[in-house]
Amino acid sequence: MGTQIEDSKIVLSLADIQKSFAGVRALRGVSFELRAGEVHALIGENGAGKSTLAKVITGDLLPDSGTVEVFGNSIAENSPIVSRQLGIAAIYQQPSLFPDLTVSENIALALETGGGLRRVYWKARNQRAKALLERIGSKLDPWRLARTLSMAEQQIVEIAKALGTDARILLMDEPTAVLTEREAEHLFGLVRRLREDGVAIVYISHRLEEILASADRITVLRDGERIACRSASDVDRPELIQLMVGRSIGSVFPKRTVPIGDVALEVPGAFSVRRGEIFGLAGLVGSGRTELARTLFGLTPSGSTIEVNGRPVRIDSPAQAIREGLGYLPEDRRLHGVVLEMTIAENVSLASLATVSRHGLIDTTAEESLAARYVSDLRIKAPSVNVPVGTLSGGNQQKVALARWLVTTPRVMILDEPTQGVDVGSKAEIHELIVQLAEQGMAILLISSELPELLGMSDRIGVMRGGTLAGILNRDEATQESIMSLAFGHSTGAA
Amino acid sequence: MRFRLGESRLFANSEGILLLALIAQVAFFAVTAPAFLTWGNGFEILRFSVELGLLAVALTPIILTGGIDLSVGSTVGLAAVVFGVTWDHGRLPIGVAILAALLTGLACGALNALLIARLRLPALVVTLGTYSLYRGIAEGLTHGMASYTGFPAGFLQLGQGYLWGVVPLQLPIFALVVAAYAIYLHRSIHGRALYAIGFNSEGAQYAGIPVAKRLAWIYLLSGTVSGLAAIIYVSHLGLAKADLGTGYELEAIAAVVLGGTSVFGGRGNLLGTLLGLFFLSILQNGMHLLAMPSELTGVLTGLLLLGVVSADRLRSKRVGAAPAPRWKWAIGAVAAVTLIALVFVVRQKATQGSAAGGQHRMVIAVMPKAKGDPYFISARAGAEEAAKELGAELIWDGPTSLDASQQNELVESWITRGVDAIVVAVENKGSISTVLRKARAHGIAVLTWDADAEPNARDFFLNQATPEAIANTLTDEAARLIPGDAQFAIVTGALSAENQNEWIADIKKRVAERYPRLHLATVQPSDDDRDKAFAQTQTILKVYPQVKIVIAISAPAVPGAAAAVEQSGRKDVDVIGLSLPSICRAQIHSGSIQTIVLWDTRNLGYLTVYGGWLAAQKKIASGATEVDAGRLGRLVVRGTEIILGTPLIIDKANVDKLNF
Amino acid sequence: MMHRFSRELTLAVTILLLMLALAVFAHGYFSAENMADLFLENMPVMIVALGMTLTILTGQIDISVGSIFAVSSVVAAVAARAGFSLLTSALVACCVGALCGALNGVLVAYVRVPSIVVTLATMVALRDALRWLTQGAWIGNLPDHFQWLGTSQRSFTLATLLLLVVLIAASALGLHNLRVGRAVYATGSNAAAAHRVGIDTSRVTLAVFTLTGILTGLAAMLNATRFNQVPSNSGLGLEMKVIAAVVVGGTAITGGSGSIAGTVLGVILLGSIGTALTFLGVSAYWEKAFEGAIILGALSLNVLASYRARHRKEALLAV
Repeated sequence: MGTQIEDSKIVLSLADIQKSFAGVRALRGVSFELRAGEVHALIGENGAGKSTLAKVITGDLLPDSGTVEVFGNSIAENSPIVSRQLGIAAIYQQPSLFPDLTVSENIALALETGGGLRRVYWKARNQRAKALLERIGSKLDPWRLARTLSMAEQQIVEIAKALGTDARILLMDEPTAVLTEREAEHLFGLVRRLREDGVAIVYISHRLEEILASADRITVLRDGERIACRSASDVDRPELIQLMVGRSIGSVFPKRTVPIGDVALEVPGAFSVRRGEIFGLAGLVGSGRTELARTLFGLTPSGSTIEVNGRPVRIDSPAQAIREGLGYLPEDRRLHGVVLEMTIAENVSLASLATVSRHGLIDTTAEESLAARYVSDLRIKAPSVNVPVGTLSGGNQQKVALARWLVTTPRVMILDEPTQGVDVGSKAEIHELIVQLAEQGMAILLISSELPELLGMSDRIGVMRGGTLAGILNRDEATQESIMSLAFGHSTGAA
Repeated sequence: MRFRLGESRLFANSEGILLLALIAQVAFFAVTAPAFLTWGNGFEILRFSVELGLLAVALTPIILTGGIDLSVGSTVGLAAVVFGVTWDHGRLPIGVAILAALLTGLACGALNALLIARLRLPALVVTLGTYSLYRGIAEGLTHGMASYTGFPAGFLQLGQGYLWGVVPLQLPIFALVVAAYAIYLHRSIHGRALYAIGFNSEGAQYAGIPVAKRLAWIYLLSGTVSGLAAIIYVSHLGLAKADLGTGYELEAIAAVVLGGTSVFGGRGNLLGTLLGLFFLSILQNGMHLLAMPSELTGVLTGLLLLGVVSADRLRSKRVGAAPAPRWKWAIGAVAAVTLIALVFVVRQKATQGSAAGGQHRMVIAVMPKAKGDPYFISARAGAEEAAKELGAELIWDGPTSLDASQQNELVESWITRGVDAIVVAVENKGSISTVLRKARAHGIAVLTWDADAEPNARDFFLNQATPEAIANTLTDEAARLIPGDAQFAIVTGALSAENQNEWIADIKKRVAERYPRLHLATVQPSDDDRDKAFAQTQTILKVYPQVKIVIAISAPAVPGAAAAVEQSGRKDVDVIGLSLPSICRAQIHSGSIQTIVLWDTRNLGYLTVYGGWLAAQKKIASGATEVDAGRLGRLVVRGTEIILGTPLIIDKANVDKLNF
Repeated sequence: MMHRFSRELTLAVTILLLMLALAVFAHGYFSAENMADLFLENMPVMIVALGMTLTILTGQIDISVGSIFAVSSVVAAVAARAGFSLLTSALVACCVGALCGALNGVLVAYVRVPSIVVTLATMVALRDALRWLTQGAWIGNLPDHFQWLGTSQRSFTLATLLLLVVLIAASALGLHNLRVGRAVYATGSNAAAAHRVGIDTSRVTLAVFTLTGILTGLAAMLNATRFNQVPSNSGLGLEMKVIAAVVVGGTAITGGSGSIAGTVLGVILLGSIGTALTFLGVSAYWEKAFEGAIILGALSLNVLASYRARHRKEALLAV
C-alpha cells in the first residue's frame, strides 16, 4: 500500500508557507504535500500551527507568503468558496451549524452552489440529507432544528456535509474530540472507505492511537515549523511524542495512592466521592455526564438534594455551589472555562472576587499578585498577568481556568474533560496537578471520554448510560472492556 | 490599590480619537465663537448636560453588557408626571414628591429588569415596549391637564440656582452619581462581573456570577437614575409634563456609543461616555454661539457618530496586521471633522461678512417654538423683511421639535453670545421665565411672541390674539356654519401641547355659554402629523356619524382632516381650524375647508424684529398706548402688550390675497 | 413539527379575539369603508415592515426608515413638480431609498459598524438635513395626476392592495424558496458558518439594507400620492411602529428566525389597535400605553411557549 501511495499523484502541495498574527509567527515556512488516497496526519502540540495550516488550505486564511497548489494548479487568491470549488471539504473540531435551520437545510446550504435566484427544492434537500446521513449510519431526522442537536449529532451533520461535496481532499480537524468511542470507530470506518475511493485526507488529532491506527503518513509540526514527515509504519508513539514536544515524556499517569478521607460529596442513590479520592465518570457522549455536572453545580437546578461534607443541600445556582465548596472546570474551555477577552488576573479572580477586595472594591494589586502566584505555580506561559487569556495557547488557557477554581479552595472539584484539546506537554502537567490536588485532600470528580486517562487516574469509575448511573467499578476491576460494556448496556463488545 | 481605568482600558477603544476630537473642537470654537471660552459658558454647558448625562451614565453599564434601554426617556416623562401629580394634586410635601418620582423610576426599572434579567427577553424589544408603555401611562395620567408648574422656589433652586454664584447646583449631584457609577463599574466586584457578562455571559455564569441578579441591578439603577434625572429636569424647567425626555434615549445612546462603548458588549467605560457626552453638548453650544441653525447640529452629530465609530472599527480591523497606523486614523478623523466644520462655518461667515458693514449692527435673536413648522416658517419671512429694513442682524433659531429645555439652552447661549434683543415664542411659560429674567438682568431686551411668559420675565408681549379670542372666533364660525343641534369633534396637535389645551378649554367654555345646541363628541390627537390627522378624522367620521364639523387646531391637522372628509365623500361635514393659507389654499378653493382662522403671520414675524429693535433702544416709553411699527403703522399698546390686531377669518374670498 | 408555526398561531388567535370583540361591541368597524381606510393607513407600515423583517432576520436593525421615508417622499414630490412623469418620480423615490439603504448597508457590512449605531446616525442626519434644506416647507402645487396616481380613489386602493399582495407573496416565497432567501436566514443564524459555506454575508447584509431602503421609498411614494401636497416631516416614529410590528410578529431580534406571515399579522394587530380603541370609546390618551402593553404581552407569550418546550427537554435530562 505504501508504494501505491508513493506513486499516486500529488493533489495538494504547500510550499514555504509563512503566516503571522499581530507580529507572532504562527507558520514559519511550512511545506506539506498530500497524495490521492492517503490519510496524512498532522500532529503537534497546541499552538504548533496545525489549525492555522488547515485554515490556509481551506482559504479561511491567506498566507503571508508561500504557494498553495491544488491538483497541480497554483492558487493565488484562495477563499472558502474557491477551495470548495476545487473539491476541498473540511470538518472542524467545533461544529459550525445554523441553529435556526433544519438538519437538511444545514447540509443543503453547504452543497448548493450557484446563483441566489435559483429555487430551493425542499423535497430533494430532504432526500439527499437522509441519504447522506444513512451513509454514515445515522438516523437523524432531517427536519430537526440544529439548535436541538447534541454536540455529537452536530458533528455527524458536519460529516454528512463534507461527504456530500464529493470532496477529493478532506480536512478533518479533531473530528473525534466530541465523539464517543463507537461514533469514532464508525468515523474511522468511513475514513478508510473514503481513502479507498481515492480521497486524500488531512487528519488532525491529539489522539496518537487513532493516528497510528489509521494514518499513512504523519507530519509533525512544532512552533510553526515542520519537524518531520514520516510514514506511519516507521514511527511509534514515544517517538512521535518526542518529535512533538522536543523531549520525551513518559506516557504513564502520575497516579499515586493517597489516604482516602470522609465522604465529601454524596449524590443519594447514586454515588459518593471521598476526600482524596479521584472518582472517574465514564459514559458515551449524551449519556448525561455533563448534565450531571451542570446539575451538581447549580447551572440547571433540579430541585433535588445532595450532601456536601455530610450536610444535605439543595444547590440552585453556581454561586451557591461555590459557597458550598464545589468547583467546576467546564468542558467547553473557550466558551465557559475562561473569558477570552479578559486578562489572566481577571480570569483567575473571577470566581472569588471577594478574596481580592475590600468593602466590595477590588484591590488590583492583590489581584495581580494572586494571579502571579498561580501563573508561576501552574507554569502558565504568559508575558504578564495583564494579557488577555485569548492570546494564550489552549493548554495555558486550561491552566488559567483551573487556577480560577484553585483560588476558591473547593472541597469537591468537578473536572469535565480537563485535557480535551490540550497538547501533550500541558496534558501531563494537568494530570500531575490533579494528583496533587487529591493529595491535598480534595475530592475529585473526573469526567473524561479518554479511557486511558480515566483508567490511569481514577480510584473508582462510575459509568453513565441514558441519564443514569449504570454501575461503579473499582480500580482493580476497571478495564476498557468493562467500562464499555456498562456504557453500552447489553450490546457488549459493539465498540 | 490602583485604578485600573487609568491603564489598560483607557485608550483601548476610541477614547483616544474622541479626546483629540474634543480638544480640536474646543480649540475651534474658542477661536471662532464669541464668549465660548468663559467660565460661565463652561458651567452652562455642564448644566445642560446633566439630565442627558445621567441617562448616558446609567446606560453605559447596560450597553456594556450587550443590552440596551430605550425606555429611559419615557421613564423621565412618567416620573416627572408622578412628581407633578403627587405635589400638585396630592398636595403633598416636595420631599414626598421626590420620593414618589424616584420610586416610579425604580418601578419602571423593575419591570424592565423582570422581563430582561429574569425572563431573558431581548432588551431591545422589551424596552421598545416599555418605551411606549411608560410614555402612554404618563399621557393617560395627565390627560386634560397640560402640565404642572408653580413649584416652590427652594425646589427650583436645585435646577436653576448656583453654588458660589457660578457652579450650577445640579452639578454636584451629577458628579456624585458619576463617581458612584465609576466606583460601581470600575472598582467594585459588581462592575467586574458586568464586564465578564458583557464579554461572555455564559462564561460569567460558569464562574459563579449571578448573571440575572447583576443585570437586574443595572436596569433597576437605570430606572432610578432616570427618576432622578426627571426631578432635576422638572426643577430645571420648573414644569412637569408627560412629554419630558422625548428622544433622550437616542441622544444618550449616541453619547455612550460615541464614547467607545461597544454595543456588542464588554468594551467601554464611563470616561468615554463623559467624553462623548461633552463632545455632543459642546458641539451644540458652539453651534448656537456661532448662530448656526440647529438642524446643522443634528447633521454634524450624525456624521461625527459615523466618523468616529467607523474610524475605530477600521483601526481595530487593521490592528492585527500593523499596529502603527492607529494614530494616523485618529488624526485623519479629527482632521476630517475639523475640516467639515470649518468649511461650513467659513461659508456661513462669508455670507454674513459680505452683508455686514463695519460698524456695530444690532443683533436681534428670534426663536420660534419649533423649526420646520409651516406657521413659524411663514413668520420668518416677515422677520427677515424687518431686519433688512432696519439694517439689523437677525438670528433665527429654535428647537427642531417642541422641546422646552432646548429653548432654555438657546436663550442661555444667546446671553453668552451677547445679543441686543431676544424674542421668544414660548413653549412653556413656567420653564423659560427664569432664563428670560437672567437675560433681562444682562441688559438684553426680552420680548415674547405667539405665547407669553410670566409678565415679569419679559419687557413686552407681542400679542397676535388671545387664546380666548381664537377659541371664540372658531366656535362662532362653527355655530354659523351648522344650524340647529349638532355634534362637533376636535383634532388637536399633541395631547400635551399647552396652548392647544388652552384653546380646547376655551372652546368648551364658549359652547357652554353661548351654544348649548353644539355638543363636543371627541378630542383626538394628531401629533402635528398630517397623515395621523387624516386617519383620526376618518375614524371620527365613522364612529361619530353625527359629527357635522371638525375643528382642527394644529396647522398640519387642518389639511389632513379636510382630505379625510373629502375622500369619504361626506358633503355634509365641514372643516375649520387654525392653519396657514399656504397649506390649505387648494382645499379652501375646493370647498373641503370652509374657514381658517389666523392672523397675518408675516406681519407677526415683522413685528418680532421691529419690536425687538424698538425695545433694545428703549424707544417704547412706559405708559405708551400706541407705538409706530414701521409698515404695520401704529399699533395699540395695552400695558406691556403690543397688540397685532384681530384674528383674520380666511375663506375663499380672501385666501389668494394672502401670501403666507 | 407542530410548534413551527405556534407563534403565528398565537398571534392569529389574538387577532381573532380582538376582531370578535370588535364585531360585537364596535358597530361599523367591519364596514368595507373602514377596512379600506385601515388598509391605506397601514400600507406604508406593511411595505416597510417587509424590508425590516429581512433586516432583522439577518440579525441587524434599521431605525433610519422614518427619515428615509421623509426624504424619499419629498424628493418624489419635487421630481413630480419639476415635470417628471409619475413613474419616473416613483423610480426616483425608490432610488433615493436605495441610496440611503445602501449607505447604511455599506457601513454595516463592510466597515462593520453595529447597525443600531449606523442607522441611529443616519436617522438623525437625514432628518435634520431634510429640515435644513426644506426649512419645513411643504411641497404643494403638485400636478393633478399626482394624487391617486391619476386614477380614482377606489382603483388606487385596489391597485395598491394588489401590489401589496404581490409584494408579500414575493417576499414570503422568496424567503422560503429562493437560495437568497435561505442565505438571509443563514446569515442571521450564524454568520461565520454562512461565510464558511460560501455565502457572501456582507453582500447579503448590503442587499437587505438596500432592499429596505427601496421598499421605504416605494411606501413613501404610495403614501404621498394619497394627498395633494407632501409635508416635509412625514414618517416620524415610523421606525418604532415597523420594528414593533415585526417583533410582535415573532421575528427574533437576534436574527435567523421569523417569517413574513408573522410580520403581516403583527402589522394587522398593531395597526388595528388605535382605530379599534376609538371605536370602543376608549380615550385616545391611553393608546400608547395599550401599544406598549401589547408588545410586552406578545413577547411574554413567546417566552411562555418556549419555556414549556425547554422544560420538557430538561425533564428528560434530569438525573
